[in-house]
Amino acid sequence: MRLELKNIYKSFGEKEVLKGVNFTAESGKAFGLLGRNGAGKTTTIRILMDVFPADSGEILVDGKPIDYEELDFGYLPEERGLYPKKLIIDQLVYFAELKGMGHKEAVKAVDYWLDKLEVSEYRNKRLDTLSKGNQQKIQFITALAHNPKIIILDEPFSGLDPVNAILLKDVVKEQIAEDKIVLFSSHQMSYIEEFCDSIAIINAGKVALCGDLHDIKRNYVRDRLVVQTTNPQPIQADFASACTVRENGSLLIQLNDPAEKQSVMKRLVESYDIDEVKVFEPSLNDIFVEYAGEQI
Amino acid sequence: MKQFGKILKFELFGYLKNKVFVGITIFLVIAIAIAMFIPNIVDLFKPDEGEGASSVIVDGGDSGLPVMLIYAEDGRLAALVKQYFAEAFTGYNVSVAEGTLDEVKDRIKNGDVKCAFAMDSASSYTYYVNNLLMYDTDKAIADTVLQNVYIATAMIQNGMTPEQAGKVISVQIKGETVTLGKDQMQNFFYTYFMVFALYMVILLYGQMVATNVATEKSSRAMELLITSAKPTSMMFGKVLASCIAGLAQLVIVFGTALTLYDVNKDAWGDNILIESMFNIPVELFAYLLVFFVLGFLIYAFLYGAIASTVSKLEDINTAIMPVTFLFVFAFFVVVFSMSSGNVDNTVMKVCSYIPFTSPMAMFTRICMSTVAWYEIAISIAVLIGSTVGVGFLAAKIYRVGVLLYGKRPKIGSILKAVRKA
Repeated sequence: MRLELKNIYKSFGEKEVLKGVNFTAESGKAFGLLGRNGAGKTTTIRILMDVFPADSGEILVDGKPIDYEELDFGYLPEERGLYPKKLIIDQLVYFAELKGMGHKEAVKAVDYWLDKLEVSEYRNKRLDTLSKGNQQKIQFITALAHNPKIIILDEPFSGLDPVNAILLKDVVKEQIAEDKIVLFSSHQMSYIEEFCDSIAIINAGKVALCGDLHDIKRNYVRDRLVVQTTNPQPIQADFASACTVRENGSLLIQLNDPAEKQSVMKRLVESYDIDEVKVFEPSLNDIFVEYAGEQI
Repeated sequence: MKQFGKILKFELFGYLKNKVFVGITIFLVIAIAIAMFIPNIVDLFKPDEGEGASSVIVDGGDSGLPVMLIYAEDGRLAALVKQYFAEAFTGYNVSVAEGTLDEVKDRIKNGDVKCAFAMDSASSYTYYVNNLLMYDTDKAIADTVLQNVYIATAMIQNGMTPEQAGKVISVQIKGETVTLGKDQMQNFFYTYFMVFALYMVILLYGQMVATNVATEKSSRAMELLITSAKPTSMMFGKVLASCIAGLAQLVIVFGTALTLYDVNKDAWGDNILIESMFNIPVELFAYLLVFFVLGFLIYAFLYGAIASTVSKLEDINTAIMPVTFLFVFAFFVVVFSMSSGNVDNTVMKVCSYIPFTSPMAMFTRICMSTVAWYEIAISIAVLIGSTVGVGFLAAKIYRVGVLLYGKRPKIGSILKAVRKA
């Protein structure tokens, strides 16, 4: 399954929030939707979920206009919230039913997920009696219980302890393996790097960068070297201003020309005591800052 | 449609599981049950009638009655007035005052004497009483008696015999009233009662709908709801659920009252007020139901829509104030018209066609006056049309409103957004 957003425009009053958003997400892969606060991520998600229509543009599934009667969405909103005073089982079943499940089917699915996420002991408790992490798990169930084909997760792992984070990560990986489209939106770049094959960076209502994450990294100009060494001073003296120290203590050497790569590497290994030398590949964080950093 | 049913069910169960809602209903039922048994309870504590009767005889006459004094400088006038007053005021022990006027006043103040009439002449007096009651009829009775005395005296002076004069004055006029339309006297109580019930339930449940919507928004459950269900289903499901809950509560409370009244009918005897309250014609119940449901819906939609524009629960009260004012205004127009005795005045006539006031205004007119069927039909048709219109508008405002956080938007900007949506 292929989900395509084409030229989505949206204004609220005078304010133009989306100025032509385009991206394509495929099933069986996770897609990362990145952008700074206010860039238009939530608006894009809401248009995708038919909360309000776009001013123009189209949303296609496998090349055909999206049919909301047929396609189910699972959504984990960034602003978490359910009914604090109602029983967990009641509200989870209610949300599953709203998504079109029958009552018995919904109860069964909810029980399955409560068990899987290790929160079945809270089944008949009120939501506000649970810890934040457990509330988060309950919220997760609302996105997954009705077995949707497209899952949208906004900051899915925030506020979780490492053990729970691993539990939910495994769940997300399972969903991806079940050939679903998983859309991630997060500011925690490490999670996006871990899960997502493709990304789109939205900046000021436009897609600033889009594509396969691996390709994006590969296509960066390979004109920098990372050098790991126990004795950095001689190298720093040698390369002078072309050499900077990174946060983790390794050295970053800027080349004049990508073609120099081999010769410089050879010179480094022969002349100095080097533990490791490799071509610098930018992290997603670096890419994000570059594309979304100053353009708002 | 399927979603609507599920939302309706969920919201309805929300009411049934709400301890406050259930508690209030149970409390009302118990309170009404007690009220309905009051005559039986009172009977239990009453001493036997036989004993009571004999004790009065032993006491020997009217010494237990409050004392009314007649004071006049002219002893003959005092005696004359005393004679007539004794006949008119059977609830008093009427006697001629001895001593000065100041002594009479002192006796009133210390409670020996209930009241006194100080006669200046046969047609002029001063009425002395310690605490004047709100419904003191003594003075009015005295006026009538004195006027009759005066007329009789004049007649006698002009040559009539006292018997002739007495006959003329005591002539009884025979008259009979046949009510072809509605008897306002009899209808007043139950109309007032039903209008008040309408007022209370709509106000109470309207605000419950408002709180309900605002809670969903402030707890951010809305983020998920709005992506799971259509705003129209949400709005209609919520409002209809509260309407059913309110109706159920009314039926339970009124049903208890009616059943228990039936059980205790004999004990209540001929209490006119209670009897008139429970002798409501069936077709009025049908009208009550129609106006209740429509009035409830139109206000609940408004409350829901307004609450959806509020981000914090604390802001609800100020936000819904205009709607509450509108409703209270409608209530007061109706109540004032009812107590003025003219429910067909121009304001009421106009109000019985305006959708926000017609549930109470038209209903009152149907109860207490004669309204042509086509007037009722027009009023109900206008109300149905507006309710559906307000419902869809409310759903639109709701969809725009629930996603707005922060400062409450102005009405203008909401309407602009609604028109675009």
